[in-house]
Amino acid sequence: MTEVHVARGRDGSIRVAAAPGGDDESALGPDFTRSVLDVAGALLVWPVLGAQTPPVADVHDVRRAQQWLWAVYGDGVAAAVHDAAAGEPAGVRVRARPGALAGTAARLGLGHWAARWWPASYTDGIAELEGDVLGLELAALTHQCQELFDDLDDGVAELIEEHRAALDPLLRWWHATPRPAQTARHLGSVLRLIDDAADCAGLDGPELRRLRSALEEERGHGRTSAPVDLSALFAGRDGHALAAGAAPGAGGRVIARGSGTNDWRRYPPGFVDAAEDAVSWTARAHGELRQIEVEVVAHVTAPAAGVPLAAEVRVNGGDPHRVPLTRRDDVWTGRGELDLRPGAGLPVTAPPRIEVGVLLPGFDPGHGPDTGVERAAIRDLARRRLADAAQPGAYGTQPFLAEILAAATGEDY
Amino acid sequence: MPPPSQPIGERRPRAQVIDHAWRDLGAGLESLSGPGGAPLTRTVKLIVLPLIVRPALHAELAADFLQPAEAARLDALIRESGSLLTATAQWFTLLKKARRALGVVAGNPQDLYFQRCFELATEHGAPSAGADEVARAVVDEVVHAGGGRTVEALKDCLADPALRARLAEELAAAWESRGPARDAAEALAPAAEVLETCTAPEPNPSAYARMIELRHGELFGRVVWAQPGGLWGGAEPPAHLGLTARPVPPRPEIGRGASTATLPAPLDRTLFERLFVVLQSSARREELPTVPELVARESGRSCAPLGLYDESLRVAVVLGACLAVGLDPLGTGAPGPARTAAHKVVNSRWRREASVLRARRMTVSPHPDPDGGALDALAQDLRTPWVPYMRRLWVRLHGRDVRGAPPADLASVWAVLDGVARSVMMDHRARVRAALRALSAAPATAADAAEPRSA
Repeated sequence: MTEVHVARGRDGSIRVAAAPGGDDESALGPDFTRSVLDVAGALLVWPVLGAQTPPVADVHDVRRAQQWLWAVYGDGVAAAVHDAAAGEPAGVRVRARPGALAGTAARLGLGHWAARWWPASYTDGIAELEGDVLGLELAALTHQCQELFDDLDDGVAELIEEHRAALDPLLRWWHATPRPAQTARHLGSVLRLIDDAADCAGLDGPELRRLRSALEEERGHGRTSAPVDLSALFAGRDGHALAAGAAPGAGGRVIARGSGTNDWRRYPPGFVDAAEDAVSWTARAHGELRQIEVEVVAHVTAPAAGVPLAAEVRVNGGDPHRVPLTRRDDVWTGRGELDLRPGAGLPVTAPPRIEVGVLLPGFDPGHGPDTGVERAAIRDLARRRLADAAQPGAYGTQPFLAEILAAATGEDY
Repeated sequence: MPPPSQPIGERRPRAQVIDHAWRDLGAGLESLSGPGGAPLTRTVKLIVLPLIVRPALHAELAADFLQPAEAARLDALIRESGSLLTATAQWFTLLKKARRALGVVAGNPQDLYFQRCFELATEHGAPSAGADEVARAVVDEVVHAGGGRTVEALKDCLADPALRARLAEELAAAWESRGPARDAAEALAPAAEVLETCTAPEPNPSAYARMIELRHGELFGRVVWAQPGGLWGGAEPPAHLGLTARPVPPRPEIGRGASTATLPAPLDRTLFERLFVVLQSSARREELPTVPELVARESGRSCAPLGLYDESLRVAVVLGACLAVGLDPLGTGAPGPARTAAHKVVNSRWRREASVLRARRMTVSPHPDPDGGALDALAQDLRTPWVPYMRRLWVRLHGRDVRGAPPADLASVWAVLDGVARSVMMDHRARVRAALRALSAAPATAADAAEPRSA
């Protein structure tokens, strides 16, 4: 039996959560351990790590939220939210009866999370998820949860438009009647949902027309079966060979080296390998001059140029300064001067404490608390999900198509 | 421990009653239903509620929770409409087919056709012989519903040299005869009072009515014409809050063209640009005045205070301005002007938005960053939130002025003010997404990351 706590918060919004307690969102863990959905009249939040639970809802427009509250939590919770909006701020415990919509919504939230925080890493052996395949499955899931959204806010049309490049490859994958049968059914269901969503939103285009006629044909006389090479189907999934090249010819005497911090929150997805040790640095002495070289392992899909990624270097807890990074093969590298004069109160002989991070200027929300433990937990989650995706149907989980694809084509990681 | 769960009793959520009644109707409703069999959100909003439930006639069905008798009544209303709804669904399928055949892609078919389909079903029942032609005719009619109210017609109209000469004279005369400015402080104090109460379910209308009566909107418009600063105090945004890019608004020009990507600030726009936005963004263009009428009215309007004729719309600008200077999208908590109930609502909306953006890895740095490029420009907008806010608010109010559709009461003013806040947020989210996408795409496109502003 699942119970939830329903109470009115300080700002007048109604909170539905497993336990009473605070508007303090840091209790939910760092940003990258939460999946969120912005639904009609409310925000839904699930922890990504840990057991599956009903979401935490922050309901700011009770009337709009009534369209789905009963279907996600059951009518008892819907009534409690209604009463809380009208009455006292004191909370009540109510039995939740999550409906089918709750499960699909959680999956949609998790998919959005994976699209932004999947810890793809060459060195960790965590394969990248194909963005267009995941995007199309998100469109299908959004359509499946259409009751959650106010008409214009669901984003289905944008998702289909943005990721339409994967429609033809998905169709060919489906036509190849993949094994196990569950994957074939999964593909067929996603494709049908996309067709229906596109029809509802009045979208048109060559890929969508091909999809429609393929689905109509299938209704007539089944699919043809032909073997398919998945890595060839989804171009650009060939992994990357690590640069054999020599270290940037720096010269000088190495005086210190170490690893930096790879805080995922400080740059957008798709630029930096998610491994904990992706950031490394070397300090060298050239006569009087002190220089630092920073190397950051690039994400498999990182753009070759034009991104002003930077390393942030801090010596002995002093002011941070930036070293611009440029892409060289599979690493971002940069070199800057280093001021190693000892800080006040430190003996001249103490080795300098050098902290290095990587960030995207303009994006970086700032230096945050250490979240290495949570990053490790997320990597474990990703590995577990990929292992499950390698045998879809074998376990209780239902992997995303992009995970099945990554598990099937990611051996070269 | 909190008190035990309150029993729900016999009442049921109206949405659930509708959902169950809908599913009980069985097959034949697929084109109006979502993948799981529930009615589409728009089916409920555009067909079930306004055309079948009709809460205006059945006030007892307007509530979110229904007692058993009312639930049974609602269930019966939907059940009785079963064959009508099935016919509506068939017409909708037919209209979508006709739309594809005619190559129409603009607009959302549900918005465009749902009501028409219900009318067709009421009139003809299920589609029968000749229905294909009817469907094509309806799709065609919807496409041409604007009745010549197009940007092209505007261009033709304003190409006439005689008309341009006359408009130039009118603009010069109207601009010269503008009255002098008084101190606007007397408009700002009651505005704060109104913002304190307007979020209530039934706001007290008297302070708002007094602002209209004392013409506080006109007063503010005159100050904007005359006075570049010194109105808002504190960090001192300009008096006009970005409604013009200059110290005070210039006399409007006539203009010959416009582009969404390069529209200037609202009060710097030409007559052409002002009407271009109206024609581009209107869903029901057939309800607008004709193009020559639009042009004839706009020259006087553009020289009226705040570029608006209707005083209640001008008062809405004052309210929006007072709201906008107290917004804190970055959650810095910086001391601002006294924050009202309206500010609290919108600022907590921004707090939620910020937490969504962080969880979706779509942040902008809270502090200015010279290396930040397009993302820094987006953050800058959040540091001066009144600029995007007033821009959107003005466009919306101008559209209402052109249509002669001023807000009916304070509740509808608040709906506009809150709706604009939401649009500014969604716009910000879309632009961050576009800027990040441009960064991860080919390097050549990184420079023009920011999407064109939509006015």
